[in-house]
Amino acid sequence: MRGVATFLATFGIGVATYIAIADSGGGSPVCVAGGHGCQTVAESSYSHLLGVNIAIFGIGGYVILLGAALLRGDAARMVGFAVALVGFGYSLYLTYLELFTIDAICQWCVASAILMTLLFAANTTRMLAYVGTER
Amino acid sequence: MSGSSDREARKEERLRTEEAAEAQRRQQRIKLASAIAFLAVAAVAILIVVSQNQSSGGDSGNLQAVAEVEEELQGIPQDGMVLGQPGAEVAALEFADLQCPVCKAYSEQVLPQIVETQVRTGEAKLDFRAYTIIDADSVPAAAAAIAAGEQGKGWNFVEIFYRNQGLERSGYVTDDFLTAVAEAAGVPNLEKWDRTRKSKAVLAEVEDSTKEAQDLGFTGTPSFAVEGPGTNGLEAIGTPNSAGALEASIAAATK
Repeated sequence: MRGVATFLATFGIGVATYIAIADSGGGSPVCVAGGHGCQTVAESSYSHLLGVNIAIFGIGGYVILLGAALLRGDAARMVGFAVALVGFGYSLYLTYLELFTIDAICQWCVASAILMTLLFAANTTRMLAYVGTER
Repeated sequence: MSGSSDREARKEERLRTEEAAEAQRRQQRIKLASAIAFLAVAAVAILIVVSQNQSSGGDSGNLQAVAEVEEELQGIPQDGMVLGQPGAEVAALEFADLQCPVCKAYSEQVLPQIVETQVRTGEAKLDFRAYTIIDADSVPAAAAAIAAGEQGKGWNFVEIFYRNQGLERSGYVTDDFLTAVAEAAGVPNLEKWDRTRKSKAVLAEVEDSTKEAQDLGFTGTPSFAVEGPGTNGLEAIGTPNSAGALEASIAAATK
């Protein structure tokens, strides 16, 4: 299970880094006509939290999940579970916003949401099935 | 024989004790995990609340920055949606959607410099044109601004709207909100404003300027076009990425 989580978290770091770079280097920001796609999502006011791009939070979360996946023991298991649950919950909220508020879907954000869902499943399994063991 | 069975019994006893201790440790860890899950869910809830409140404008009962806008526009002539001296050589057209967060950022971070250095000095005039791209609520918002413009307060309306903009598509553009903005903008006759903003002529104006923006090739807001002695008619300049860049385009149009 740690191997699966390591793979998913590494993939997640890549996706979140791509989103952060694409968002910061996209030239002049504009509100886009048409209402679909990554640019609409990125230019909406939901793409930042306290002035920081959500993707930066994503990178931080995936890095912690990678660290938790690489380490053995209950402490790593619980940190992995907690961070994955927060990431999964917030991804659900962001996907809801994309579908019902922003009316635009960004495939990179969806990819990140899927990875976070899988990481949540992996970390939950790791914690519930192996608690108290050294795996 | 008896010694051997004693040893067996002690071993079994030890194993039972270890198993019980292990079971207890597992119980404690599951309890801890449940607490962690609760905290994680609480953390998500806090993040969502922070996200919702970070630009929670759209509050008709608590409009912000009214005096600041009044000060920014003080002493500059307004005619319809045009801000600046009627005889200014350069006209800079801004195609914008009042619900667009980037337009709000532009109005707060870019336009004040242009207003001070080029509009107040009589070099250029700014012409607000509605380009309704966010959703259906953008139309009544734009119409309300134009109606305020007919009473000489269009730019006050636009600027106060931006300073109090809510989250896009959150349904904050209500009659109450628009009326509160018009009142704060100093529209002298609110009854007339209310009739004007619903008139066919004003709604057609919103539709026409949106079409004009599309014809100019603009796909987002805010987008600018300039016209002056140094241009070949109306020239689309898109979205300059800084106040300096917009200032330079306006300056180039004067020559």
